[in-house]
Amino acid sequence: MGAVVKYVIAGLVRYWLIHTDFWHTLSNRVEIATPLNSWKRLIEGVYLYDQNINPYEGDAFHESPIVLVIFHYLLKHVPYSLPFIFSAMDLLTAYLLYKTSRGFVRIFLNCQEKYLSDVSQESKDMVMTESQLKETSEYVLSVYLFNPYSILNCVGMTTTVLQNMLLAAALCGAAHGYVIISCAFLAFATHQALYPVLLIVPTAMILAEVNKGCNKCSYIKTLLAFVLSWSFVVYISAFIMDGSYNYVYNTYGFILTVPDLKPNIGLFWYFFTEMFEHFRLLFVCAFQINALILYIVPLTLRFKKEPILLVTVLLALSTVFRSYPCVGDVGFYMAFIPMWKHLFTFMQQKFIVACAFIITSALGPTVWHLWIYSGSANANFFFGVTLSFATAQIFLITDLLFAYIKREYTLKNGSSRTIDGKPAKLVLR
Amino acid sequence: MFNSKNFLFFIAVFIETIFNANGDLFNEELFIKPLPPAHLYTYFQFTTLVNDNLSSEHTYLAPRSLVEVLTRFQVDELHFTLTEGQWRHNHWGYPVLDAAPGAELYAWFSSDVENVDTQWKKLSSTLAGLFCASLNFIEDFNTITPQMALQPTGAIPQNPNITSQLRYASLPREIVCTENLTPWKKLLPCESSRGLSALLNSRMIHNTNYHSIGVHTRKVCSSSDCSVVSLEIKQTVALVYDSKIIRTTDWSFTKLFGQGLPGGCPLASSSKVYVDITTNDTQPFLLSPEPEKVLLSQRGGSETKLALYTIKPENKMTTIGAKYISKKDLVLMKLPPLYFNRYVLGYGKEFGGIVTELTNTFWSSIDVVVLQNAPWWLPIQLSSLRINGEASSEMVLARHYSPGRSRQKPYHLELLLRLPPKSATKITIDFEFVFLKWQEYPPDANHGFYVGSAIITANLPTARNYTSLPGTASLFESSINASKPWYPAVFRTNGVMVSLPTPDFSMPYNVICLACTVVALAFGPLHNICTKELVLKVVGSSVTLKQKIINLFKKKKE
Repeated sequence: MGAVVKYVIAGLVRYWLIHTDFWHTLSNRVEIATPLNSWKRLIEGVYLYDQNINPYEGDAFHESPIVLVIFHYLLKHVPYSLPFIFSAMDLLTAYLLYKTSRGFVRIFLNCQEKYLSDVSQESKDMVMTESQLKETSEYVLSVYLFNPYSILNCVGMTTTVLQNMLLAAALCGAAHGYVIISCAFLAFATHQALYPVLLIVPTAMILAEVNKGCNKCSYIKTLLAFVLSWSFVVYISAFIMDGSYNYVYNTYGFILTVPDLKPNIGLFWYFFTEMFEHFRLLFVCAFQINALILYIVPLTLRFKKEPILLVTVLLALSTVFRSYPCVGDVGFYMAFIPMWKHLFTFMQQKFIVACAFIITSALGPTVWHLWIYSGSANANFFFGVTLSFATAQIFLITDLLFAYIKREYTLKNGSSRTIDGKPAKLVLR
Repeated sequence: MFNSKNFLFFIAVFIETIFNANGDLFNEELFIKPLPPAHLYTYFQFTTLVNDNLSSEHTYLAPRSLVEVLTRFQVDELHFTLTEGQWRHNHWGYPVLDAAPGAELYAWFSSDVENVDTQWKKLSSTLAGLFCASLNFIEDFNTITPQMALQPTGAIPQNPNITSQLRYASLPREIVCTENLTPWKKLLPCESSRGLSALLNSRMIHNTNYHSIGVHTRKVCSSSDCSVVSLEIKQTVALVYDSKIIRTTDWSFTKLFGQGLPGGCPLASSSKVYVDITTNDTQPFLLSPEPEKVLLSQRGGSETKLALYTIKPENKMTTIGAKYISKKDLVLMKLPPLYFNRYVLGYGKEFGGIVTELTNTFWSSIDVVVLQNAPWWLPIQLSSLRINGEASSEMVLARHYSPGRSRQKPYHLELLLRLPPKSATKITIDFEFVFLKWQEYPPDANHGFYVGSAIITANLPTARNYTSLPGTASLFESSINASKPWYPAVFRTNGVMVSLPTPDFSMPYNVICLACTVVALAFGPLHNICTKELVLKVVGSSVTLKQKIINLFKKKKE
């Protein structure tokens, strides 16, 4: 009953905000809409497609052809129900996330049981009970439904709403052991925004974990399903565009080469505005490697026992370092933070991070207005705010990981912090 | 002294006959029209007709440097103008030839040319050298191929895809200066020593409200069935003087050009000066000297009176002038049948719109083609196109849209509209401001960015305020009594300016360092977490500085 009330309230808030006069402003905010996902560009793309002009010939549209066709149909036949569709998609995402976290809790309990023998006598009371974990799912639901970032994203009617739904569906499928469903949705999400490709690693690990049996076979099966479904969506898109693969330059090419330097909450825009042309390629490569490849192997090796932590961290890292991030991506990974409620006691920078989030969220629109509309500030102000927002997110991620390894250590060695009676502290060696 | 002058003149006449024998014809004309209440329009036209077979090796009166360029790049028709200032159609009526502010170049290449884009690039670079203008800035990203707005004026063999041979570019930021006029004058047979071109004194012509110099070449039929074509090179100068700048409404050659006319060019077949004296009825003025002849021209329902002077090469220094008898303050202006205006909407540097207003003052509908040419840094959204506020208007008969691409291709929109009688039409389209890389901003980035003017092509049903030559004619005198069912005209609206948001140009290093620091803030801890393990370490065991240094060395030894 409580859950139904939550859905209703969250749905009404979204639906109402879309119908207010703020909608126009919100859907054009740089924090919410990027060149990749904005409603305005979607409309333009659909309009061009409707007029038989290839939307990928120009620079107006960067979504995948499948999304183009879906929204072409929707705008043609049910244009008035779009606010409802967007709200419903976001509620569905919340529901899928809830289901995912339920699945994750089960996996988590299994993992805990597996390594129960390693837990020291002293730390036995730190082991999570089922009821403790069950309530985290409720938090996940509430956080997604009432997180201002996800609400704003939905109200802005960005295609990130669809992206989040696909990701939630993929993770939900993985948590319940459906290889095909999980891989298909993940492939579609990857086709839309490229960066979800990172999630194939934790997904494969979760699927192997859930579907007991031969681990390697499961990995290969997952990878194969993913590659096949990805190629399928790429092919289908080309089929929609009359067999031409040129759309790839406007979707993947646009994400990878960062030609549009419109400010957003990420690190790319000002960096590449101020970059010397000679070094541009080098730094584009460096930043994309940082976002796509760099952390996946070390983190996988380090947290192979914890695929769920890996999901959270990879989602967050790819949000911080992607070329066109928006608050919708932030809202999505934040929904997973309550899963790690038991780590909060080990986190040291909770307060700083929370303050930074609040302050940057308030300052961002302010300095944007000062720069673009009043002309009394300049680009550095907004850059400073986005930089601190990224720093806050990075602190959140690293703090979460440190908290995890501290808890791991404490479980193993007890909570006493003394060596031969002398006070000691935990350090990395 | 007298004898030697006479001798020189004799030689000149002799040379002239030789050249005429070879078939090249050179005519110079000057058209002066008062634009009440306070402006004066002077239009120079130097027409060279090359009747001979064209070769780049040898030319008679035509400038070899230009002919060589035209034959090398197989250009059928070329229009090049350099303009400063804005022609005000609703106040001044229509000019003989309209031009876009800044530099404008368009050309049709011969149908034999396959790779038009490379030829175009070469042509613009060569012309840049020839006219000392920055035409070398013409790249793919500011070149368009108009589909409906521009049609060749010369004799070009029928070709269904003639537009594929056309390229158009305008550089609205180009500043026109003396350095452009000097090479332009060198193309004339008499340069600036004799003839009407002697009046083009750069000190005086840059003192005007509007000045435009142009070179127009085309092929014209030289036989009745058009089996033989010859090249026509037309060099034009249009100047609009402001009586406030020259300090008086009375004008004379000495006031306008700083000197009198030293006689016609001996190489010219004719040198004529026409003064439009139609306004004499409302604002009476006296011409001095008296005109040779007063011509009455009836064209498309409007009547024009022209005073004609023929300038002979042997003429002494002459100056033609007008003195106003009485000055009426109130002048009733006849609005031209079609006029337009263009401006930018919106505030802030995020979203904006461009409005083009077209007013049809005539009692029947007028078909116009409107070409909007937005540079790549001004992405227009076709879905936001509104005509009088409506998304789909019955006025649009045809539409062509070619979307732009950043740093590669401009946005290009052409609309064929039927303007209803006595109506004002507002075309609105939205755009988004683009954030450029810091090295892409021009010097003085906060000055703003010029957006080229829109081209408006119309078939006017009336010749009110119309001064252009008929399509097939070469000389100004052929516009007298030239009534036609339609009066084709190509206009340019005023250009607009937008101010793009700028980054801080002074701190590339700081930005690079700061952004990389944030990346390192993630990399460092993640590297530590992945490669190191947690251990307990005793705290409080204070280490002296000496011990620390010793430890440092110890570690090194290990």
